Amino acid sequence: MLKLIKLEWKKNRIFKYIRNAAITTAVLLLFLLMAAGELETVETVQSYGKSMLDTSVGLFVHMAYIVFTGVMIAVYIVGAYEKKTINLMFSYPIKRSKIILSKICAVWLFNFTAMVLSKAVIYLVLIATKSVTGISAAGISVGEPSFWADAVLSAAAMVSISFIALPVGLKMRSSKAAIVASVIIVCFTQGGIGSATLANNMTFYAILFVVAMASVWLSVSRVETRDVM
Amino acid sequence: MSYILQTSRLTKTIGGKELVRDVELHVKKGEIYGFLGPNGAGKTTVMKMIMNLWKPTMGSVELFGKPLTPKSYEVMRRIGSIIEFPTFYEHMTGEENLRMHCEYMGYYQHGSVEKALTMLDLTAAAKMPVKNYSLGMKERLGIARAILCKPELLILDEPTNGLDPAGMKQIRELLRTLSAEQGTTIVVSSHILSEIESIADTIGIIHQGRIKKEIGLKEIEEMSLAYIELSVQNPERAAYVLADKLGLTNFKVMEDGMIRIYDDRVTTEEMAKMLASNEVSVTSLGRKAETLEDYFLKLTGGGGDKC
Repeated sequence: MLKLIKLEWKKNRIFKYIRNAAITTAVLLLFLLMAAGELETVETVQSYGKSMLDTSVGLFVHMAYIVFTGVMIAVYIVGAYEKKTINLMFSYPIKRSKIILSKICAVWLFNFTAMVLSKAVIYLVLIATKSVTGISAAGISVGEPSFWADAVLSAAAMVSISFIALPVGLKMRSSKAAIVASVIIVCFTQGGIGSATLANNMTFYAILFVVAMASVWLSVSRVETRDVM
Repeated sequence: MSYILQTSRLTKTIGGKELVRDVELHVKKGEIYGFLGPNGAGKTTVMKMIMNLWKPTMGSVELFGKPLTPKSYEVMRRIGSIIEFPTFYEHMTGEENLRMHCEYMGYYQHGSVEKALTMLDLTAAAKMPVKNYSLGMKERLGIARAILCKPELLILDEPTNGLDPAGMKQIRELLRTLSAEQGTTIVVSSHILSEIESIADTIGIIHQGRIKKEIGLKEIEEMSLAYIELSVQNPERAAYVLADKLGLTNFKVMEDGMIRIYDDRVTTEEMAKMLASNEVSVTSLGRKAETLEDYFLKLTGGGGDKC
């Protein structure tokens, strides 16, 4: 499986995605550094139980990588059906579900790692530059394992939820549909209307997670017996 | 007799539309099997089922003596194929595409990529991204990939699409070489008769989703397909002379005063003399041979958009 994942990265030029992830992180960091002064004035948001700065880091990183995951799903999986390279893949002496799973894992692993690293870089730079920027880093406890556990778990959850876009793209045989679906997921998970938001609702996330897992299962199951159109 | 590839009552229906029905193919080891039929006859449908891309609605496929099931993965190691048109990772070079293929096939033979590129005259374009290839170059790269891992069975769906006459000739020669030197069994589909006629040992003719005939080219040659064709002004009288005076029974009166005589007991000279003595005016008389094209048209009722 690891070999298949590596081949997926190789043929899809993973370095291009690493570069884009680095640029995304830099842009987010710049944006947060510029907005840090504003965020400091509304430091504590009781409803979230987090500082506004911490919430903002999570919000923007999640938004960016849900779309990033959607784009990669579109290219790695939906694009393979669109461009019919999947016909070639299915002519190899490899179990088809393994081929699809390797694509899913390649996307998941990359985005999960990129999201965690992106958060780590942003948090560490914000902390390191706080004497210069004058921002308050209250609530950003980089020294505590629970802080990192939260960052890692939320990254895993967000990347997993992004896979709801997969069956949409596959059903419509459209990479664009997969990307649009990921933007809609961003709106649902990170957006809000006035003060109403689902961004902190654990039940909502749990439901989305189950839907995402079902989406992956739907995409992988019956791949052995289904016609490749 | 055992076959490398055999289908039995292979049927495919999609959305209530029957694409092929009761297709029976029998491909012997080491032969070149020409799968012939007009566009839309069902050639690609059958090939997709052989490659396990489509599952039969009914019937079965047997490869190397074993039935093909949805879980037949290992058998793919022994097959090279192009179905419909070859697809590539367009941003990668031709060489990178071939190396990637070797990785997935688990085939690591030093120099095999270079050899395949050389065989298809693609060495100069090896380092070029496939997106810059012409249609003919892509087709050749597809064939290079199909033969790269030395398959025992090669399944090529219209492999000369997009090739110029020189390219087509090159592919024909390559297929002959692979068959003769490596013993590769080749199934090649085409809607162009001359292409199949020049390379195949056996042809399977498919028309409107059904196999019309499976026949060896030698058999066609041995069949009494040579005939005398004569053009007369009064075919009824000529037919009477042929039957009554010359005792011929195997002849056919065609349109426009043409008569085809499949009986070789009488020479053209004798025939001309007899017709003249019975006051039948002959405008032309000559010995001809029925081509595979005639045979094909006879089987398909003259149907087909190009053959």
